[in-house]
Amino acid sequence: MENAVGSVIPDNARIIRNIMNAIQFVQDHSVHFYALHALDWVDVVSALKADPAKTSELNQSIALDTPKTWKTSPQYFGNVQKKVKALAESGQLGHFSSGYWGHPEYKLPPEANLMAVAHYLEALDFQRDSIRIQVLLGGKNPHPQTWLVGGMAIPIDPNSQNAINANTISFLQDLARPALDFVKTVYVPDLLAIASFYKDWASIGAGCGNFLSYGEFQNDNTSNTTNTWLPAGFIRNRNLAKVEPVDHAKVTEDVARAWYKYSDGDSKAKHPWEGETNPNYTGPKPPYEFLETEKKYSWCKAIRYDGLSTEVGPLARMLVAYASGHKQVKDAVDMALKKLGVGPEALFSTLGRTAARGLETLVTVDMLPVWINQLAQNMHRGDFRIHNGDKWEPSSWPKEAKGYGYHEAPRGALCHWVVIKDGKVANYQCVVPGGWNTSPRDAKGQPGPLEAALKGTPVKDPNRPLEILRTIHSFDPCMSCAIHIVDSNHDEIVKVRAL
Amino acid sequence: MAKIAIDPITRIEGHMRIEAQVEGGKVTEAWSSGTMWRGIELILKGRDPRECWAFVSRI
Repeated sequence: MENAVGSVIPDNARIIRNIMNAIQFVQDHSVHFYALHALDWVDVVSALKADPAKTSELNQSIALDTPKTWKTSPQYFGNVQKKVKALAESGQLGHFSSGYWGHPEYKLPPEANLMAVAHYLEALDFQRDSIRIQVLLGGKNPHPQTWLVGGMAIPIDPNSQNAINANTISFLQDLARPALDFVKTVYVPDLLAIASFYKDWASIGAGCGNFLSYGEFQNDNTSNTTNTWLPAGFIRNRNLAKVEPVDHAKVTEDVARAWYKYSDGDSKAKHPWEGETNPNYTGPKPPYEFLETEKKYSWCKAIRYDGLSTEVGPLARMLVAYASGHKQVKDAVDMALKKLGVGPEALFSTLGRTAARGLETLVTVDMLPVWINQLAQNMHRGDFRIHNGDKWEPSSWPKEAKGYGYHEAPRGALCHWVVIKDGKVANYQCVVPGGWNTSPRDAKGQPGPLEAALKGTPVKDPNRPLEILRTIHSFDPCMSCAIHIVDSNHDEIVKVRAL
Repeated sequence: MAKIAIDPITRIEGHMRIEAQVEGGKVTEAWSSGTMWRGIELILKGRDPRECWAFVSRI
């Protein structure tokens, strides 16, 4: 919208957006690693066999070059083990139930399993505490409430209790510190320790080989600026020697294999400004055994860049930054490659995708205090501007306008396209990261990134397809949630009582 | 040779199904299906563009 009408946001709005997105990266990636992905690699039941003293030694041996402030004593690990044992003996594993425990592809020694299970539980507290940064600036999480076309709807006023003031700054700093601590002494050391037992996964799950990042964390205030802290770029066919500039006109969607209908043919690749959303389910009537995968089989459209199946997300961002010579990213990636004793080619894999997410968290958490300080400095100079209302009134807009908004969400490249006519939305298309990565085959039969990555994945036991889950989860798929509780009979689904 | 379907896939956001052809202990073909219809784009048509953010941030 800002791009469509030419609205330029004030510096403070840019900085606040950077801070909110940075903590979102840190929190989301940590939640993903522990809650959504770790149990593909960590056998919870094996943790019961661990020696807490040896677990303590292991944990202390893997710290990065930062002071270790996290709990690592044998007593601590002994207590976690007792907790898990009590769960197991009660016969109710709770959120650990239905795992493929004992699967031969679990390779960690019991001590590493116990360490990871302890940190799985710690991560639940961490994600709740760290996201308070977003709550301070956005009112709540998820779905912060302070966005506004032209800036942010949160005032800055050092003399008000109800605005961003010096207390808020100090609160933000107090929350950023433990986030940094958790990432450097728990998340990234765990990631590298676990990865060292699964190096065979550095040659599994390579995917389509094309990578896109729109760039994120703006250094200036114009919409879709190329001046971002994490750079924009397109990498074609794993060629790290060349990063191509991004052109939004090269993004298209076709619905040849998706349950939609295009007015001029489902195989036509449409740019989102011309996009259509006409649902047309032609799949089997449930319950069914299999989908008709030779025809249409998904609610996701086939999103392509320059006609190519393209992966987005932390791996894409880290590769684009690495290949662009970004200092912090290069240092972090090289550190990890060296510790694991592998070359950059290992990045094109299931393991590389999971590692990239942790390394991105590592470099991003360091930027939180930088942006918080920028906000403090602006306030110190007396710059309290948070919204630019020049283009607020529809009378200031052209009769027809088109806009697009680049953004990198934690899960990857996200862009919305809007067409405005007579002050109203004439067309709107959201092209989201989960859509890129899990897209189905296109009109040419080209598989989507996840489909390509699964090809060649070993499956020891088709009844317990642990290996398939590893590659799926390495993409951190988000199939777009929230508004999907629909009951055509208008039956009551849930009753919420506000107190 | 076996075709398997994993549905629902847990520990992700949203709803997804994977079908895979497994031969000789390896996946030979895979199909990824989003099993949820979104349609936020249709809600936005005709609205004031200044309020789109409040809808789309729910995705």
